[in-house]
Amino acid sequence: MSWDLVFFALLAAASILTALGMVLSPNPVHSGIFLVLCFLNVAGIFVMLGAEFLAVIQIIVYTGAVLILLLFVLMLVDPDELPAFSSARPLQRNLSLLLGVVLLLEIGAAIITRTSIGPVGNDSPEAIEAVGGNVQAVGITIYSKYLLAFEVISLILTVGVIGAVVLALPERLGEKVQRRRDTISLAHARGADGLLPEGPRGETPIVVDPTREIAEPVGGRRLIMASDPDEYTRVGARQGGSEDHDA
Amino acid sequence: MADQPIWISCIVAFIVLNVLLISMAYMTWFERKVLAAMQDRLGPTRSGPHGLFQPLADAVKLLGKEDLVPAAADRIVFLLAPVAVFVAALTAAAVIPFGGTIDLWGQSVNLYVTDLNVGTLFILAVGSAGVYGIILGAWASANRYSLLGGLRSAAQVISYELILGFSLVGIFILSGTISLRGIMEHQQRTFSIGPLEISNWFILSQPLAFVLFLIAAVAETNRAPFDLPEAETELVAGFHTEYSGFRFSLYFLGEYINMIVTSLFASTLFLGGTDGPGSDTYWGLGLLWLFLKTIAFLFFYVWLRATLPRFRFDQLMGIAWKVLLPLALANIVVTAFFRILANGQVF
Repeated sequence: MSWDLVFFALLAAASILTALGMVLSPNPVHSGIFLVLCFLNVAGIFVMLGAEFLAVIQIIVYTGAVLILLLFVLMLVDPDELPAFSSARPLQRNLSLLLGVVLLLEIGAAIITRTSIGPVGNDSPEAIEAVGGNVQAVGITIYSKYLLAFEVISLILTVGVIGAVVLALPERLGEKVQRRRDTISLAHARGADGLLPEGPRGETPIVVDPTREIAEPVGGRRLIMASDPDEYTRVGARQGGSEDHDA
Repeated sequence: MADQPIWISCIVAFIVLNVLLISMAYMTWFERKVLAAMQDRLGPTRSGPHGLFQPLADAVKLLGKEDLVPAAADRIVFLLAPVAVFVAALTAAAVIPFGGTIDLWGQSVNLYVTDLNVGTLFILAVGSAGVYGIILGAWASANRYSLLGGLRSAAQVISYELILGFSLVGIFILSGTISLRGIMEHQQRTFSIGPLEISNWFILSQPLAFVLFLIAAVAETNRAPFDLPEAETELVAGFHTEYSGFRFSLYFLGEYINMIVTSLFASTLFLGGTDGPGSDTYWGLGLLWLFLKTIAFLFFYVWLRATLPRFRFDQLMGIAWKVLLPLALANIVVTAFFRILANGQVF
């Protein structure tokens, strides 16, 4: 038995086990970890096939994607409120079983046809070596043979990005977003305190110069002196000295 | 890749691993000394001459501390997350070339662990896998501050990874390869302006990409001024708040090894790697040049930390998506245009 086979068996077993772990683990974060491990193992199988480029792209794209997935889980899912494991509706459960079996059969059929008729197309190891390696081979294929499909996919992704931006916009499109204009300060204006008391060890009291002008804050923001921050920060509360400033 | 028996590769890998670990330990000493000099202090002086044994003392101290696991923590993930950071940081060093093939005691030895033909992407991929250690450790700690640090780290790394990748595309276009060794060999060519013969380093033909790469690399390694994930003043040290003893030091080691590997990576990509006077004849000189270039980058890291205040998080995201990303894209377009012009495919 050659070493290749041993390594393949290890990687394959690990990827199946991690895939099972992904489906069966009750904790969504653990599922995410298993998913990443599964992708890493699949990347290992790609390396063994001599497709290093695919392996690296697999890691870059999918670990990044699963990271986002994990972030959504962390931000949006309350672990205490997860439904029980087998609480799916009967229709969902049966349909997913059916779809899974169909997918498995399709993959099996693909493997069987591949082994019986041999590799399709002219992408033999020698042909890939002739164009300079599998980076070049993948690049040439995508940008010549599948150029239209590639562009259509980019368009779809762009539409998705625009959709996300529109959904995330706080206001309706075209409406100007209001920004905070004033700086609220809880400090006392210079000179408002009058004479300060003498210090405990008899330091000279601070003498306030009444003729001195208070510098205006730069940057076009008005400075509001407030004794109570709630006057200005509570939503909708605009009484008491805040005649004309906007929220 | 020149073929060599697997045991030689193993020995090279062993040497690279240990040199990396030792240089990481002395990186902490270097940082403390430089930082101290910049702040008009002495830095570590007590252990050994000039405090040279300080890293050993620190390691012993950290090893002797109790390994605490919070009661609410997800135990297995909590224990394994720092290891992920550490392993990912070390793995990236495997594709850094330290020279070509040399003859040593009748054996031809490659001065690199492996010459993956997608080496550059490999480093990016491993880097993106390393973030998992941070976010999972942060989540498993069951601590709000840690989680905030982890979320910041994830958002930051996802944004800056993009810029890191895009800043390299110009180099790929010019050199026609994504193998680190290929890129290094491409830079050993020279071009001449009058009597001057100048090395064809990519910092000269891709200056904008170099600046973008530097900024993104600092953000990728979570270093000041982009050290928001571990902002001690607001997050109580962020993602590693709950970690103690050796597991904390694994995060620490991971961060410093990341810095060293990124500096090696930058030297190889933009400063010609081992290229320098005399490096063609003596491979030792090549190693020295690479060492000096790497030290320059590491000094830059420390310099930044001593000089710049931390960014605000919205500024961090704003600068990534609104300034750096368009610049990186523009750099790709301009480089591609000149490449096509040079090939004579237009006009």
